[in-house]
Amino acid sequence: MDLQRNLRPVMGSEEVEHTADRAFRVRGRDLAELLENAAHAMVALDGEPPDSERFIRRVVEVGGSDRETLLVNWLNEILYLEQTHREFYDHFLLSNVTENHLRAQLYGRQLNRSVTSVKAATFHNLEVRGTSEGLEATVVVDV
Amino acid sequence: MLSQDNFVRLSEFVWEIPRTYRDDMRVPARLYADEELLNAALSDNSIVQLINTSTLPGIVQHAIAMPDIHQGYGFPIGGVVATRLPPGVISPGGVGYDINCGVRLLASRTTVEEIRPFLEEIAVALYANCPSGVGARGCLLLTTTELDEVLHAGSRWMLGRGYARKEDLDRTEEFGRISGANASYVSQHAHERGRNQLGTLGAGNHFIEIDRVAEVYDQTIAARLGIYPDNVAVQIHCGSRGLGHQICEDYVSRFQKTAHDYGITLPDRELVCVPFDSQEGQEYFRAMACAANFAFANRQLLAHSIRQSFEQVLAGRIKDFDLCQVYDVAHNMAKIEEHEIDGQRLQLCVHRKGATRAFGPKSAALPADLQDIGQPVLIPGSMGTASYVLIGTSKAMQQTFGSTCHGAGRVMSRAKAKRMVRGAELRQQLKSRGILICAGSMSGLAEEAPAAYKDVSQVVEVVVRAGIANRIARLEPVAVIKG
Repeated sequence: MDLQRNLRPVMGSEEVEHTADRAFRVRGRDLAELLENAAHAMVALDGEPPDSERFIRRVVEVGGSDRETLLVNWLNEILYLEQTHREFYDHFLLSNVTENHLRAQLYGRQLNRSVTSVKAATFHNLEVRGTSEGLEATVVVDV
Repeated sequence: MLSQDNFVRLSEFVWEIPRTYRDDMRVPARLYADEELLNAALSDNSIVQLINTSTLPGIVQHAIAMPDIHQGYGFPIGGVVATRLPPGVISPGGVGYDINCGVRLLASRTTVEEIRPFLEEIAVALYANCPSGVGARGCLLLTTTELDEVLHAGSRWMLGRGYARKEDLDRTEEFGRISGANASYVSQHAHERGRNQLGTLGAGNHFIEIDRVAEVYDQTIAARLGIYPDNVAVQIHCGSRGLGHQICEDYVSRFQKTAHDYGITLPDRELVCVPFDSQEGQEYFRAMACAANFAFANRQLLAHSIRQSFEQVLAGRIKDFDLCQVYDVAHNMAKIEEHEIDGQRLQLCVHRKGATRAFGPKSAALPADLQDIGQPVLIPGSMGTASYVLIGTSKAMQQTFGSTCHGAGRVMSRAKAKRMVRGAELRQQLKSRGILICAGSMSGLAEEAPAAYKDVSQVVEVVVRAGIANRIARLEPVAVIKG
């Protein structure tokens, strides 16, 4: 796996205007791709992190009572890991994705300080909708 | 599309959307605003969010929004909702992720002119001693037992460790400790996020600010609070850090299914709620109380670090640089309070999301020395603009469950603010106006540009003229430490 920085413009997502917090619209051909793109879109809100050569890999399993809950729990698990371990992730390898569960490998870097400004992903008006190309959702995050 | 025509104007500053506007409304929705602030609120989804809160089971009288209302998630920021107990609900989203985000004000007998030669040194010391940033770590690394003690005792834990004075606790909402906290309902994730974050500022709109008391409107009450013209005051704005964020996340996520089990349907999933008296409602309330106590302790430790910073720089240079606490208020909280509704005393769960408790005189919740004047209310402005010290009123008790506004309120998105403002230029502009800025992030600074906010003086004018707070003093910034 190429662990070089993966801060390309996030495909399948765009930031949406929100007065107090921040929001992004994310798309995917299926739920796994939507979840992966949502993770990229969230970490991209903070731009490029400081340099670090200390590569790390983590494995997580996340559950949820439906796909919206799974999406929110997944993003919040990333925030929890980033903030408690002072890490930044730029590759997300998802497997075993169902509407209630996912397993993922997170690849990234250990930093000297936490760089995320996002406190939490919210359920505000959240709906994972079917589109002609797959799935779409708009996520509001608290900052 | 909502417009001014959907409101009934009840008085000069009170506007109401009747309960008949939408089938799912249980009570009317009221906004405190002048015409300009009403129109500002109509420019985003704030009013729809206000109407959505009127659908919460058990809500009494009306859903309320303050003039600093702006679009949030679930509740609007500036929202107040009271539910009758039983069978009313508690909503974690109605408190928000930063549980007990609030403001503390310290005041000195020293004038700003006396400390001005040392201002930059003080600002640098504050920046060094009060760590900032979302994941910042503080000077205390607590064991699990110690952290649980903090979650149960709040500021009282700090008193026992020499980080607080008895007078600090007397001048803190709930005396620095919410009862009912039970750390066994706080997840392992939340414990881990909070373990090393005591005494840290966080990011976003959180700050420490050194102010000059620019104007005193009521000399008698201001003197009672230790506030005198031209003197130094220091504000702290922050909350329960990652621990509070995690507790909110845990329960909002869990209640997605639980609310359904109770047959509760809502227009927005972020409003999710459960009956306060249910097992799940009690577990959230007790976990929320833990986060509230953590936030009180956090602002207390920051106050201690600020006092140390002043001493570090001013000892031997200035005679009286001590900082006494004026008050500490929460503006993201759910509280169990008794209020009179239609002549009956009722027990309510009052959610204040971006709104401040503003109890009037003779409230049993106030310390003896504030009984005759009411509760101090702290209203921070946007960076580089004024802040206000207000006092609660009897009219607030009658009209708004003893609540008033909490700040200026945003009008511009963070993304737009960053496109329009360069952080470094803003810092230079503020410096030319005599305001020093220490900030960890220039883009974060740009997001908090004054142009992104409403005029706090206009917001305060509305609450004062509506009678839900009285003006005591205005503060002007001289140095700001940003997360």
